[in-house]
Amino acid sequence: MRKALLIGLVQTALVAAMVVTGGTTAPASAQENPYDTTVDRTMGQRIFRAQCGRCHGRDAKGNDETGAPDLTSGGLEANTDQALFGVIREGIPNTAMIGISPRASDQTVWQIVSYINALNLDPSDYDLPGDVNRGRQVFSGKGNCANCHMVEGEGGRLGPDLSTVGSRLDPDQLRIALTDPNEEVAPRWWTMRITRADGSVLEGLRMNEDTFTVRIMDADENLWNFLKSEIRSSERIKTSTMPTADGLTAGEMDDLIAYVFSLRRES
Amino acid sequence: MQRLAFVIALIIALPLAISGQEGEGPSLTPVTWERLLNAADEPENWLMYNGTLDSQRFSGLDQIHNRNVGNLELKWAYQIPEIDRAETVPLVVDGVMFVTEAPSNVVALDATTGRQYWRYEHELPDDLRICCGRNNRGVAILGETLYMSTLDAKLAAIDARSGNLVWVKEVAPYESGYSKTAAPLIVKDQVVTGIAGGEFGIRGFLDSYDATTGDLNWRTNTIPGPDEPGNQTWAGESWRTGGSPTWITGSYDPDLDLVYWGTGNPGPDWNGDVRLGDNLYSDSALALNGVTGNLEWYFQFTPHDIHDWDAIQVPILADIRYGGEMRKVMMWANRNAFYYTLDRETGEFLVGKPYARQTWAERLDENGRPIRVPNMEPSPEGTLVSPTIGGGTNWWSPAFSPRTGLFYVNAFDGEQLFFIRDEDYVEGEQYTGGGGENAGPIDNYHSAIRAIDPATGDVRWEYPIAPRSTSGLLTTAGDLVFGGTVDGYFFAVDAVSGQELWHVAVGARVHSAPLSYSVNGEQFVTIAAGNVVFTFGLGD
Repeated sequence: MRKALLIGLVQTALVAAMVVTGGTTAPASAQENPYDTTVDRTMGQRIFRAQCGRCHGRDAKGNDETGAPDLTSGGLEANTDQALFGVIREGIPNTAMIGISPRASDQTVWQIVSYINALNLDPSDYDLPGDVNRGRQVFSGKGNCANCHMVEGEGGRLGPDLSTVGSRLDPDQLRIALTDPNEEVAPRWWTMRITRADGSVLEGLRMNEDTFTVRIMDADENLWNFLKSEIRSSERIKTSTMPTADGLTAGEMDDLIAYVFSLRRES
Repeated sequence: MQRLAFVIALIIALPLAISGQEGEGPSLTPVTWERLLNAADEPENWLMYNGTLDSQRFSGLDQIHNRNVGNLELKWAYQIPEIDRAETVPLVVDGVMFVTEAPSNVVALDATTGRQYWRYEHELPDDLRICCGRNNRGVAILGETLYMSTLDAKLAAIDARSGNLVWVKEVAPYESGYSKTAAPLIVKDQVVTGIAGGEFGIRGFLDSYDATTGDLNWRTNTIPGPDEPGNQTWAGESWRTGGSPTWITGSYDPDLDLVYWGTGNPGPDWNGDVRLGDNLYSDSALALNGVTGNLEWYFQFTPHDIHDWDAIQVPILADIRYGGEMRKVMMWANRNAFYYTLDRETGEFLVGKPYARQTWAERLDENGRPIRVPNMEPSPEGTLVSPTIGGGTNWWSPAFSPRTGLFYVNAFDGEQLFFIRDEDYVEGEQYTGGGGENAGPIDNYHSAIRAIDPATGDVRWEYPIAPRSTSGLLTTAGDLVFGGTVDGYFFAVDAVSGQELWHVAVGARVHSAPLSYSVNGEQFVTIAAGNVVFTFGLGD
C-alpha cells in the first residue's frame, strides 16, 4: 500500500497528526485502510465528487475560485492513511477545509482516502518492460535529458524538475510526453519572445507573466524581468522546447520510461 | 492642580478627537436612515457594502484623479489574524473603519492609521456546512449598530462603538446546509439579508428583520410553494430542494420603494433532469415591495439553469437615456455571459448582449429569454461550454460612473467541461448533481475589465488582465476605475479610455472590492488582498 500521500494542504501533516491523536472518530492506533479495493476507490471517487469536488475540483486538481489546493500533485505530506482519514473526518481547524458530514460513515471516509491515494500512482500496479538502471544511463547519457531536467538537485533548469514525476504521470503519459512533447505544454514551459524597445529580441522560458510584467529564463539560464510598458512586444510561443526522443531505440525508450516512472517521493 | 490636569488632558484629547473625521468632534456619529438615503452626499464615508443604495460603487471624491493617481502610496496595512482569504468590503463612518474577517468576525479600526478600536469574534460550531470557504463580505450599519451575517446562518447586531453583541438571531438551521456570507442591506428600519447554501439543496429566501429588536418582518421565498404561482415550474417535489439562494447584497430604490436582489442557481446545480421546468425564481432579478417583501416583478436570466450560473450579481441602478428618453434602469452583467439593461419599474427587458465569450445561447429573444444552442447540457463524459462555472463574471461588484455613463465589469472568456451525475438529496449534504473540470490552463484564456454602454450593451473599451481578475470594481469622480488581479496587483485605469494609469503589487489575490473615503480632507483608497487590508493615499 502506498504510504506517502501528497495532498497539497498547508500544514496538513501537523494538523493531521493532531487530528489523529485528538480526534474522536478516527481510530486510536495506526491503521491501514480497510476499504481499498477497486470498488472502494470508485465509490470514493463518487463521494469525493459530490462532497469535496465543489472546492477541490471534480478532478481533484484544485479550484482557482475557491482557493482549494490540487490533491494530485505536490505539497506537504499527510504520511499515513490514518492522517488523511483524520483530515477528511475532522477538517483542518481555522481553514476552509471543513470535515465531512458527521453522518458519513467511517467506510465512506476510508473510501475517499482510497480514491485520493489512487490519484498518486502506485508503481506496483504497473509491470513495465524497461530496466530502471539502464534507463538512468539513458537519461544522463544518450537521451541528454539531464541537460535540461533536474532530478534530486542534479541536472539542468530548462525543463521541469522530474524528481517526483512518477507520482503524477503514468507510463503511458510519460511515453506521450517523450514522443510528442507538444501534446500538452504547461504555460510555465512556453517560450516568450521579448522585443525590447530598441528592437532587439530575447527569448526564454516563461517563468511567470502578469498584466504588467513578464519573467523569463534564457538558454543560458539567466533570469530576466521586463516591464511590459518598457518593451515593444511580448509573444507567447506555446510549443515545447523539448526535442522528441526519436533517436532512442524501443528498448531504450522502455528503459527510460521505467526510470522516469520510478522517480517519486518515498515515505 | 486639578484644573491644570484637566487642561492638559483637554490639550491631549482634542487632537485625538478631531483626528478621525472631516471636521471637529469625535469619530463615529450615528448613521441615520437619512444619511444612508443620501450617502452620495457624504463621499468621505463608505456607508454600505456598495457605497450607496443604488450600488453604483461610484465615489464622489476627486482628490485622487487620472492625472495624479501615479502618486499613490501605501498609508497603512492591517493584517487580519485569521488565515483565510479576505472578501471584505469595509465600511467607513466618520473616521472609523469596520472590517469583517473570516470566519465571522468584525474589527473596528481608525481609518487614518489602521489601528484597532475593538474586535468582535462570533463563536461558530465546528460542523459548518459551507461550500466555498470561510468568507464574510461586510457589515451594514444603522444608528450605532452593525449587522453581520455569520457562517452558521445567524444575523448578529453589534454595537458599533464597543463591539458588544446587541442581539443575535438564527436565520436558518446551519445543519441543513444554510449559511450566510453577504453584507445585509438597510432599508428604512429594516435589515434585509439573504441566505447561502445553493449547493446543499436548501430552499432560498430573502428576509427582513426589525433593526432594533431583530424580529422577523417578512420572509419571501425565492421558490414558490404549492398553490403559489411559479411552483409548477418545478417538477414534482423538486421545489423543496431547489436552492435559489440570495448570497450577495442587493439594492434599493427609495422612490419606487423596491428592493432588488439576485437569486442563485437551482439545485442540484448540474443535474436539471430532476427539476424539469424553468425553476422560478432561480437565477433571477427580484423586485420586492419595500414594506411587505411581496414580489412586484421578476426577470429570469437563465431559465432551467444547468451550469451553476447564479444571478448573484449586484444590481446597479441608474437613470439613463434610452430610446430618446430618460429611463429608470437596472444594469446587470450576468454570470451567464450576457449583459442586460432592464426597466427597474417594471422589469421590462431593454438590452441584452454577450459581454464575455459564450457558446450556450444562440441569442436572447425579444423578451430577453435565451434561445439555447442544442447539446450544451452537462454529460457523463463532459460537455465543453463557455462561460465556465465561475461565469463571464461572478459575484464581484461591478461599478457605474454617472460621469462617463459606462458600466464596468470584470469579465472572463473561459470554457469548462461540465459533467452530470445522479445524486440523492440528503439533508445537510452537498447536492450538486455534477461538476466541472478545466479544459486547459487559465493562461490560455482571456480576461479583462470591460466598459459597457448600458443603452446599447456595446463594449466601449477593455483593459486586458493576465491571468485574470476576481475583484470587484470602484469608479470615482476622479475618472478612475480601480480593480485587482488574482496574482496580487491593485491597479487604476482611466474611466473614459481604459488606459492603464497605476498599479502596485499587493502580494496576494484580490478577492474583494475597493472603496474610497476621506478623513480630514485626505482621500484614501482601500483594498483587501490575501489576508491584508491596504490603504493608499497621495504622497506628500
